[in-house]
Amino acid sequence: MTGEKDTIVHIDNVTKRFGSVVAVDRLDMKIVAGEFVTFLGPSGCGKSTTLRMLGGFETPDEGRIVLDGADVTRQPPNRRDVNMVFQDYALFPHMTVGQNVAFGLELKGKSRAEIDRRTGELLEFLQLSGFRNRTPEQLSGGQRQRVALARALAPDPKLLLLDEPLGALDAKLRGQVQIELKDIQKRTGKTFFFVTHDQEEALTMSDRIVVMNAGRVEQAGTPEDLYFRPESRFVAEFIGETNLIEGTVRGIDRDAIVIDWNGMAVRGAAHGRQPAAGEAVTASLRLENVTCHPKKPTREDAIEGRVVNKLFKGSRTSLDIRIGEGRDTLIRAYMDAGNAASIDDDQLWISWEADRLAVLRD
Amino acid sequence: MTRHTRILMSIIYWAFVAYLFVPLALMVTMGFKDSKFIGFPIRSWTFDWYIAVAQDTQVLAVFGYSMAIAISTTVLSLIIGTWMAAFLGPNTFRGKAIIFALACLPAVIPGIISAIALRIFARLIDIEPGMMAIILGHTVHNVPFVALVVMARLSTQPKSHIEAARDLGADSIVAFFRVTLPYLKPALIGAGIFCMLLSFDDFVRAFFLGGYQPTLPVLIFAKLRSGMSPEINAISTIVLIMTAILGLWAERSMRRLNKGS
Repeated sequence: MTGEKDTIVHIDNVTKRFGSVVAVDRLDMKIVAGEFVTFLGPSGCGKSTTLRMLGGFETPDEGRIVLDGADVTRQPPNRRDVNMVFQDYALFPHMTVGQNVAFGLELKGKSRAEIDRRTGELLEFLQLSGFRNRTPEQLSGGQRQRVALARALAPDPKLLLLDEPLGALDAKLRGQVQIELKDIQKRTGKTFFFVTHDQEEALTMSDRIVVMNAGRVEQAGTPEDLYFRPESRFVAEFIGETNLIEGTVRGIDRDAIVIDWNGMAVRGAAHGRQPAAGEAVTASLRLENVTCHPKKPTREDAIEGRVVNKLFKGSRTSLDIRIGEGRDTLIRAYMDAGNAASIDDDQLWISWEADRLAVLRD
Repeated sequence: MTRHTRILMSIIYWAFVAYLFVPLALMVTMGFKDSKFIGFPIRSWTFDWYIAVAQDTQVLAVFGYSMAIAISTTVLSLIIGTWMAAFLGPNTFRGKAIIFALACLPAVIPGIISAIALRIFARLIDIEPGMMAIILGHTVHNVPFVALVVMARLSTQPKSHIEAARDLGADSIVAFFRVTLPYLKPALIGAGIFCMLLSFDDFVRAFFLGGYQPTLPVLIFAKLRSGMSPEINAISTIVLIMTAILGLWAERSMRRLNKGS
């Protein structure tokens, strides 16, 4: 069982239906202890249902949930070593900050001294020491979020669930809290199961992102994997901005897939399923992976294009480049503002590394 | 708005205020008149009627009796009403609307009908007319008010509060007592005071369901039949002041608690 040792949660082939709607469809996923894993997807994709099944608020129709080796599929929330930070924080309004944090410890039957000590520690850890006797109403949004986190961490859970806990914060605060949250996760070494529809949150904080769509996992991997090596059209489009290229596979050449794109041969790579020759495929090319050359470069795979639109964005300029005369041949790319100024007659050449053009499975 | 309509509006308003308060003011005033005869002119003033009330053991006993009924009724109504709200509020089941309508019926049935029905029923199940019968009658009448107020409050409680309590280790009973009940506190205070006032004030049910011992309204009624006396004014004034204070205090504390959540 050495391989199993690091797995804290196993979502074992779980299906959950609401009436005729399949919310989660045969989800199979292992979560490693100490990992910050984010379930990312649009609303209704099944991420929140998965979180609620882990918390014990929904029961799977099929499959099992194994927590630290024990089957907890049918265990009620109060008997699981799992705690949750709710979207609206759900702080108890009639209790002080200290009482809120102590609530879970009291129910665990800890001694008064132990409760006081642990509550004090957590409040200090989350920079809330001065707020112990305040009520949640007297706190700002960011402070409430930290109280909710302290309360959920207090019973020392094996898994911490976070249900879009940054959604209620204003944009400015959100960036700061993302950093804090990641830092807290690192320092406590807790396993964080984070749910969000915000791809930026997912990219900044996660060790691993699981992209869900319509109850199924689209792709799971590190933020870099998902961003630069998407396997499906959904992932490519959901995370960040990208160029989608449609063409036909000509063949495989020196580890690269050669695609016929409006008569041009372009080189890419598939990170999931490998396509066969002759297949019609879509490929994703991130804006920052397109290299723009104001002068004709020596490399032979550079493609000539014409700038049809230039958007100055401060540190960089976004360019819309028309390639040839075919359909759907607009490529968007970034360029340094200085280099962009040196383009003559809107004419330029673009190129990319083959492994950056991700050939998608759909 | 023209000047004339504005003057007319304020005349109507002040006429209404006068209609509301002049009878009360007269009642209070007559309680201080040094004469057995109620009416003007008032030649001298006295506290004698209040002293008489304070020394009237019957009035004091009846006052205590009415209070005991009101408090028992309130406690019972709060327990049953809250239980009903907690049961009817979150659950959906067949026939919920019918059960809800039936539960609310006692609040709108005319007092006299309900009183006669309860009298017959109490005799049938061998409950002596008296305190027990009155408490049961008042409770039946008050439960719907409690249930409605508590249900309204319950519907504003975020579902996540209970889930958070469950998540932190509370079973559903602990979650109810430690999280839901404190949330309901302003509603319970408001409904409780309303119950006390309804019960204390009730004449019809107390008259039909009571035994030899009268409640305060029944005693006042009995005293009135033997002739109006300023002592009745004094009793009424005391009741008026007490209920006004209680009502205002309830309103204030409810507002404060509502703000605090």
